[in-house]
Amino acid sequence: MIIQIPVISLVFFLLMALIVPLFKRRNFAVTTTLGLIVLLIVWVLTVVLVRDVYLNGPFTYAFGNHESFIGLELLVNLFSAGFALFMLSLIIIIYVYSTSDATEGIAEKEYGRYYILLFILLFAMFGILYTNDLFNTYVFMEILSITTVSIISIKRKKENYTASFRYVMLNEVGSLSYLFGVALLFMVTGHTNIDLVAASIQSSFDDYTANIVTALGFMLTGIGIKAAIFPFHIWLPDAHSTAPTSSSAILSGLVVKLYILIMIKMLFRLFGFDIVSAMNIHIVLMMIGAFGMIMGSVFAIGQTDVKRMLGYSSIAQVGYIVLGISLGTVLGLQAAFFHVLSHGLMKAALFLSVGAVIYHKGVRKVKDFNGMASEMPVVMTVFGLAALGMIGIPLTSGFISKLNLGLASLDANQGYLIIIIIVSGLLNALYYLPILIAAFLKSNKPGDLGLKVEPIPRLMMVPIVVLGLLIVYFGLFPNMILSWFEEIAVVLL
Amino acid sequence: MIFRKNKVCDVPGLTKNVGFWSNFTVRSTLLVVLSMMIVGLFIAGVQGYLVGLSSFLTNIDVIYNVYVSLRDLSWMPLVIISLPLFGVLLSWLVEKHSCNRRDMLVILMTSFTILMSLFLYPNALEGGQTFNIPGVLGLGLSFRVDMLGFTMLMITSVLWFLVMVYAHEYMLKERHSSRFFVFMGITYSSVLGTIMAGDLLTVFLFFEVMTFASYMLVVHGQKDDSYHAGYNYIFMGIIGGFAILIAVMLLYFTVGDLSFASAIHALNEAGNIKFVIIGLLIFGFGIKAGMAPVHVWLPRAHPVAPTPASALLSGIMIKLGAYGILRVATSYYFPQEGADFSAPVWLTSNAVGSSVIWLGIITMTIGVFFALQQSNIKRMLAYHSISQMGYIMMGIGVALYLGSYGAMGYAGALYHIINHALFKSLLFMVAGVVIYHTGEANMYKLGGLWKKLPLSATVCLIAALGISGIPLFNGFVSKTILHHGIVEAYEYHGQMSMVFAERIFIVISAGTVASFIKLFYFVFLRKPDQPHQLNPEYNNLDTAMAMVALLIIFIGLNPNFILNAFIIPQLNMMPYSPTFVDTYIVGMSVFTYDDLTIMIWIVLLGGLIFYFGNKFHLFHIKLPYWLNLEYLVFYPVNVLIRKSCHLMYGDQCKYNAVTLQKLALKDNKDIGFLDRFVLMASIFNNRYEKRIIKSDAFIYTIFITGILTFMLVMRLL
Repeated sequence: MIIQIPVISLVFFLLMALIVPLFKRRNFAVTTTLGLIVLLIVWVLTVVLVRDVYLNGPFTYAFGNHESFIGLELLVNLFSAGFALFMLSLIIIIYVYSTSDATEGIAEKEYGRYYILLFILLFAMFGILYTNDLFNTYVFMEILSITTVSIISIKRKKENYTASFRYVMLNEVGSLSYLFGVALLFMVTGHTNIDLVAASIQSSFDDYTANIVTALGFMLTGIGIKAAIFPFHIWLPDAHSTAPTSSSAILSGLVVKLYILIMIKMLFRLFGFDIVSAMNIHIVLMMIGAFGMIMGSVFAIGQTDVKRMLGYSSIAQVGYIVLGISLGTVLGLQAAFFHVLSHGLMKAALFLSVGAVIYHKGVRKVKDFNGMASEMPVVMTVFGLAALGMIGIPLTSGFISKLNLGLASLDANQGYLIIIIIVSGLLNALYYLPILIAAFLKSNKPGDLGLKVEPIPRLMMVPIVVLGLLIVYFGLFPNMILSWFEEIAVVLL
Repeated sequence: MIFRKNKVCDVPGLTKNVGFWSNFTVRSTLLVVLSMMIVGLFIAGVQGYLVGLSSFLTNIDVIYNVYVSLRDLSWMPLVIISLPLFGVLLSWLVEKHSCNRRDMLVILMTSFTILMSLFLYPNALEGGQTFNIPGVLGLGLSFRVDMLGFTMLMITSVLWFLVMVYAHEYMLKERHSSRFFVFMGITYSSVLGTIMAGDLLTVFLFFEVMTFASYMLVVHGQKDDSYHAGYNYIFMGIIGGFAILIAVMLLYFTVGDLSFASAIHALNEAGNIKFVIIGLLIFGFGIKAGMAPVHVWLPRAHPVAPTPASALLSGIMIKLGAYGILRVATSYYFPQEGADFSAPVWLTSNAVGSSVIWLGIITMTIGVFFALQQSNIKRMLAYHSISQMGYIMMGIGVALYLGSYGAMGYAGALYHIINHALFKSLLFMVAGVVIYHTGEANMYKLGGLWKKLPLSATVCLIAALGISGIPLFNGFVSKTILHHGIVEAYEYHGQMSMVFAERIFIVISAGTVASFIKLFYFVFLRKPDQPHQLNPEYNNLDTAMAMVALLIIFIGLNPNFILNAFIIPQLNMMPYSPTFVDTYIVGMSVFTYDDLTIMIWIVLLGGLIFYFGNKFHLFHIKLPYWLNLEYLVFYPVNVLIRKSCHLMYGDQCKYNAVTLQKLALKDNKDIGFLDRFVLMASIFNNRYEKRIIKSDAFIYTIFITGILTFMLVMRLL
């Protein structure tokens, strides 16, 4: 039974996406409740799966019991199941929020469409995580980018269309680059199953260097575009700032990370870090990671729109993860994984709290945040926590990321990277702190407003508070999750 | 919530005083007397005067058992840290009803803190219990209170208590007083945490919390200059915090353990990285301590904060910077106690020490020089804080520089930390009272206040005598010890530069004297241009100030008490030469002919400086803006940033737009480095953001060609 869980989850998501139109005439709450039930069921199943994998080790699942060189194969290990669990948990939190605030800028009859897209998005995300096949990954990547582009353009505005057009063009180039790489590898190895390809790459690297190297270059570039790694970040700010808030949180907090995870799979399982480091790719990654950390923040400083600023901040934070990966050590990967988690939480908290501000006050410019904390104390407190986490202040999970990344770069004899980490933290402070100061201390209209929490729906407030608590929790007690990440990293290396 | 309260507490219904015993002033004065009696009993007990009483008490089983269980409570530090937070929580619950009740709770909690800290003494004498909390923040936290920690704990808790008594009355007139007390409580618990920490990560954690909590105190006024000062404060704080964080990582990587214990062997093996680590730590803690090149935040932040906050900022919080340096240098960079004192072990601390001495000398010079030019009382006091921190830094430098003979410097630095905490917070409190009653902070516009505020004038005189180092007041003792230390620095190593250091020390002390003659003369003695009308009643402000003044006199009259009770026990646990400690520090007398004559010279010189300064209006010299330290440091970057618009836009640079005009300014007064940087980033964005976004195909082509060529080259090589 347990080995069927990945497939069951995929089926559940697809079914849910199909069911939504059937409830078109009913009260919309029925749809959202049903969606939540599906998510919770899958969540429970995934917990069972993770527990099983943790105790009994990884297993593969072959569709239709075909041999792995013809059939499709799912690989369930701590890496795929663990991150599936993390992403699903975060999505449930965001989903609960979105039931009250999916409406921002979306026409009423489009609500259902949004949820259809959301579940197809989940389907693709789970597929990418579980699959053990290069071509299959490509298929899911395509599904993911088509759904993403539809979500971005769901608000029928001009800037959404521009953003989604740019997104779809660039991402298509990325997908095709990836596909080209897969094709080149298929030429050499005759397989698309990751394990088989990896084995034959190891044995035939010296004979078919040109093919393999070109494949590496194209696949890296393709995934780099999709993960918004620094010079390819260009599509991200527009796309993420125009999308509906809850999906911005998903896109920035999770989807981008998903591509990073594919990249990790590719670098460490497919090619193996020996080949990657023989080609000095890790140095390229280190450089673009470091550049991204600095430049993302520099771009963010100049923004006037908060959501755009958050988008640029994501680019900088992706730089941290790439930096951790490029170290190629257990500690580096561990730090990168932890930052995937902590940035997911922090960015989701930031987007959701900004979303609440947009919902309640209808403003999204930085200068409109003056005195916001006196009107929305809880939301702004969570915003503040997450922003401090971005800067790297202790008691938040962002600090643990920074500490681990710093220790990892020392461990890999790249101590100078600490300076970049710190400078990036200072740059983060330069654009997050003024918002916080304005929100908490400056005030447009003085006056006793009494003791009341902001009047936004409870279902929006709860996810935001939960995210805030999680940020502090992982800032205080990171060790358990870090030891898990260590196990994952050891397997990969 | 706390941020919403906009009301002032001083409205009739809230502060009505019914009857004598329910009067807030009477109650808190009684509490002060009670707490001080407890501290007094403790002191007497420590000195061995109360053998009869203590043996009587310990014979009662109940009391003895309670005492033992509290003494051996390993998580006592946590209790002490959470007391102020608990107070915050309670006061938040009652603040709706009455400001008085809220303030009484705060005061009570701080007095409990004193009481609880006393129980740490027996264990501290033996080096302190370690309490570990593994796993928190990844590397785990730990707490340990040894004698150094206990000394800091005592001075902090006593002073904080007295300032809270003062703050009640002072904050009645300020808005948002609840918010003030909330952040005061958080700051207090983080200060306590910093002091009781047992490893560097714990120190770092509480240090960061303190930076953010005290930021809220600095910007409490919510005016433009408090935002300016606060922005400066928090950024310097974050930079300092990050410097410490890098040091934490490096230290953890090279030593593998962060707890405060000797790590000199591991550090020596790691090579020059040890200098990087201590340099980062001195920089990071030095920012908080107001050390010379990075002191720029201090003279801005301290004057704009409400007086109770500035008293504590100057009295306690900057000391934590010095405490941090002292702590890390004397633990990681010292050999273990009882290890051999051969030279190689000391070489590192020797090198570090000499630079710290000079940092201290530069700090004290800059501080006094600028203090003499100020007209705002609080600003002047802030500059004196910098200069007095220079003394402390110098003492720490001597403690490191002389190796096993550095005990004199250590004693002097710690003694001066205690003394400066007392007199500087008292001076700030006096300044606060003057501003509270007259609403005027410019000392050239004040005068003749000694008739109106006799008690304030008296305590101000006491504090001024203390800070000037007049015999029979506390400053004299520590300054004499520090002077001994710097003389020894010359005698033991024979470096001529230390003679100059000693000369500068004398001149700076004279400058301090001159500056406080000026303060006292202009505020209290001089005939005022327009007399101020005020009729003060006796209130909490006076209680608190009088108590601090009594402490100053007490220490001045019993100079050996602090040495015997607090300093000598820790010197004996340090790797300092026991013979040196026994000969020169145990039972040392500061009232010797040599020391007193030096003091007389200092006072005479100080008088002269004041006389000539006042006569020739030297105190009003304004230095040109380009001599400003910040201006000099950032000059090259600022020029670059100013040119950036032309660089990016060429001839089309719209220099006339309002924001850009700010960038073109040469002066740093209205626009700091950070603002310039932010402006430049936005210009950069305007110019290139769209362009980069539109060049997607180009970027893709370049990247893919680049990476393929790169790999090809790598393969060919």
